[in-house]
Amino acid sequence: MDILLTIAVLLPLIAAFVLFLFPARKPKAIRALAIFATGVSLLITLTLFGKFDRTSGGYQFVHSIPWLPSYGCSLKFGVDGISMTLLLLVGFISFCGTLISTEIHDREKEYYILFLALTTGISGTFATMDLFFFYFFYEMAVIPMYLLIGMWGSLPPGKHGRTKEYATMKLTLYLTAGAVLALVGLLAIYFVGGTLDIERLQHSIWLSRNTQMTAFPCLLFGFGFLASMWPFHTWSPLGYAAAPTAASMMHAGVLKKTGAYGIIRLALPLLPEGARHWANLLAVLACFNILYAGWAAMTQKDWKFVIGYSSVSHMGYVFLGIATLNLVGVSGAVLLMFAHGLMAALTFALIGFFYHQTHNRYVPDLSGLARKIPFIGVCMVMAVMASSGLPGFANFVSELMVFLGSWQRGSVVFRVATICAVWGIVVTATYMLRAVRASFFGPLDEKWSMLKDAVTLRQKFPYALLLAALLTVGFWPRLLTDIIQQSVATSIVSRLSTGAEAQAASPAMVHDAGAAR
Amino acid sequence: MMSLYAIQLECLVATWGIVLLLVDAFAPIPNKRLVGYLAAGFVAVALLYSFAIQPVNEPFFHGLYRLDPFALYFKRLFLLALAMVLLMAAEFSPRIESGVVEFYALLMFCATGMLLTASVNDFILLFVSLELVTITLYVLASYLRRQQPSLEAGTKYLILGALSSGFTIYGIAYIFGTTGTTNFDKLAGLLHSQAGPPGAAFVLGVLLVLTGLGFKISSVPVQVWAPDVYQGAPTPVTAFLAVGSKAAGFALLLRVFYAGLLPVSGVWNGLIAVLAGATLLYGNLGAIPQHNIKRLLGYSSIGHAGYMLMGVAAVNALGAGAVLFYLGQYAFTNLCAFLAIIAVTSATRSDEIPSFSGLGKRSPILGVALFLSMMSLAGIPPLSGFFGKVLLIAAVVQRAQTDRLYYVLAAIGIAAVVISLYFYLGVGRAIYLQEAEDTSPILISKPMRFGLYVCMAAMIVIGIFQRPLVDASMMAAKVFSLR
Repeated sequence: MDILLTIAVLLPLIAAFVLFLFPARKPKAIRALAIFATGVSLLITLTLFGKFDRTSGGYQFVHSIPWLPSYGCSLKFGVDGISMTLLLLVGFISFCGTLISTEIHDREKEYYILFLALTTGISGTFATMDLFFFYFFYEMAVIPMYLLIGMWGSLPPGKHGRTKEYATMKLTLYLTAGAVLALVGLLAIYFVGGTLDIERLQHSIWLSRNTQMTAFPCLLFGFGFLASMWPFHTWSPLGYAAAPTAASMMHAGVLKKTGAYGIIRLALPLLPEGARHWANLLAVLACFNILYAGWAAMTQKDWKFVIGYSSVSHMGYVFLGIATLNLVGVSGAVLLMFAHGLMAALTFALIGFFYHQTHNRYVPDLSGLARKIPFIGVCMVMAVMASSGLPGFANFVSELMVFLGSWQRGSVVFRVATICAVWGIVVTATYMLRAVRASFFGPLDEKWSMLKDAVTLRQKFPYALLLAALLTVGFWPRLLTDIIQQSVATSIVSRLSTGAEAQAASPAMVHDAGAAR
Repeated sequence: MMSLYAIQLECLVATWGIVLLLVDAFAPIPNKRLVGYLAAGFVAVALLYSFAIQPVNEPFFHGLYRLDPFALYFKRLFLLALAMVLLMAAEFSPRIESGVVEFYALLMFCATGMLLTASVNDFILLFVSLELVTITLYVLASYLRRQQPSLEAGTKYLILGALSSGFTIYGIAYIFGTTGTTNFDKLAGLLHSQAGPPGAAFVLGVLLVLTGLGFKISSVPVQVWAPDVYQGAPTPVTAFLAVGSKAAGFALLLRVFYAGLLPVSGVWNGLIAVLAGATLLYGNLGAIPQHNIKRLLGYSSIGHAGYMLMGVAAVNALGAGAVLFYLGQYAFTNLCAFLAIIAVTSATRSDEIPSFSGLGKRSPILGVALFLSMMSLAGIPPLSGFFGKVLLIAAVVQRAQTDRLYYVLAAIGIAAVVISLYFYLGVGRAIYLQEAEDTSPILISKPMRFGLYVCMAAMIVIGIFQRPLVDASMMAAKVFSLR
């Protein structure tokens, strides 16, 4: 039973190795295997979600394989409410991503191998309970992205004056820079804490104040690179714009969330004193994310750049939620990662759908598309509404939670941050609605009269699946908030609310520096 | 008899080299390529045989020579490198005008010297084995004697090599003069019992030896030869320089500093840390503008010397094991890269990176092999180079827990990782992102394909199942009394 989780995570990677030995002449079989692997992986994840014990905040379905016993390293998977939510997200998006990859007709074998490797890299990061493998999977996701963008991407010339090669190189270097910065922090945690087991580090080890203060910025900024924290976000819109549809979906939908997940899973519970010290700075950076990227999105004309900047802006709400350090705020951040992931993936899939036919995604060139592609138009309007945080969508619930948590903090910084963030919603609604009005409504341009809508069930399915997930959680948020709040309460807030003095009172919790030596 | 047991691998390889020379002199075999494959096969068998040799605790030849796990680890590494390089040489043989068999034989004599370096326990043997390696490499580097770059490479290597040999022997003289011994065990005992800091003449001797060995591993300040020689030398020799000669240099460096000079580690560890940082920056920054792949790998090899010096500078058990692990996986990675380069250049006759454009389409296997080796050099999971870099940085961070300044070295190390990704991806970009002008497929021979599969499998398997190689290298590093 417990091995199911391990299978769900590793299945795409195993499929990638099988494809490696597969003849390249059979694209249909290759695609079928990729759909099978991601589909089964999604089904297993859903099964696990069904069996998930909703009253416990701890790790479940734990399965461990000893890997390097001399360093206490093991291939250990297990999920709590936070990682279960995000694993579901990976399942949905990777499955829909393979389904909509019909536009790929060049070197399919390499494409699906890379896509599957990327999937395992991300889901492994969410599911692992070992510090080494956390970093391993985290880094593993970078290079597939480089090739996916470089080989199958497209970047229409624009004011930015960049090529897709520039975009993909920039993305890779930024992500690697962030990863290695985080590595130094993780290693310091390992040497002081004396173990690689995340669960033990979370519950029975209290690192010295000095370590906490220095390691926290390493983790915060290191993971922040990947989560497109201002001012390290510039790689992100460019990278999305250049990526092929499925890669954009994975990237905006889940890859970016691994950065924020790293902060929530490791930086907050392992380094609570550091977190308290740096929280105000994080809140200020979050406001820059929300407003700066929001205003940048206003001036964009390319659909993918609009969504790219919008996604940077939305990560600001996630950062603000993390900075609150309280139950409502952090849970809101986790739920927002889920909601925004689905929304961003859906939007990129829809853009990909019409871009494949129009070869143009420049907003002023498009007009009245909804007349020719009503299904896509309807989905796009829904996605835009979700993005603007309308009730009925998961985004509304999560953003509200973030605002509540942030207001609860009470300090001036957080009051101002909350006001900025609420103002950010208005900004988002403005650019999103403007873009959708300009390109989907109004008179139909003759140029676009040849567009074909998604008609068959098979074509509609991936979009419908993403939308259904978004609406389900929107109408019934307790489906996820219950398990998220349980885990946030047991593993994060309990650590954040305890002071060092209380920890020092119980000798078992104190860990002397140097145990690893 | 016991003494012969200790040097059987050296005897085996040297004898086989002499046999090749004699057979070629009296009854030449016309198919030189086949001779190369045979030689490689023989060395591969010797490599398998080496796993039957048991380590011995006591030194041989009056404390001159050791056959401990450390020595065996390196001997296997050198045999692996020799087998692959002979395979490359066989593939390369049509481009050698004359003396193909002598080329093979010289490689084997050079490897004999390397096998000796693995066991060195005395400054005298250190110098002898070092010279055996270096002198054969002078000849090998200039083997394409009608091509100016090859001659230039040989000359540069000769002049700088001779200079650094001078440094080494001068340093040994100072160390012997101040302590009265050349044996590492006796030296360590003497230094251990000595009170107070060592004298200036002794420190000067240590510095000179460090400079001399720095030449072999191409570390700052004696690294300038590497790009020129890597570019000009025949490609199999470049591979042997990168894999074998560098490992030999590190074997000696570890023996001298971790066995002989460990009691005075306070004297040299700061200096090695500074050299590591400088070497990292020089190699990785210098590689950025390169457009010749062999020259790029020359700079990259300087960079990797820097990474491994990080492990040496850490002076802890993790660091020593990390250096050994890194060398082991680095051999597979670099051999894979050079195998692929030889296969491509036999078709294109050009070492320039643009001539690798569209390789992914011209030959999927060569494209994958070269791309994976570049990514392993850059340290991307799930390839072996990734874990090597994690171990080395971990060793430095562990040291930084007591000595905060080491965080600076760790910072330089991670900066170098990011920089290096840029130029390794430059090669990757040519392979997959750019279109070729000439799209004719590149054919490769069966033995070559076999070698590529072995190296690729090793990179991936070591990258995912790190344990066997980690255990072997940590075991080998236990011969030093480090914590």
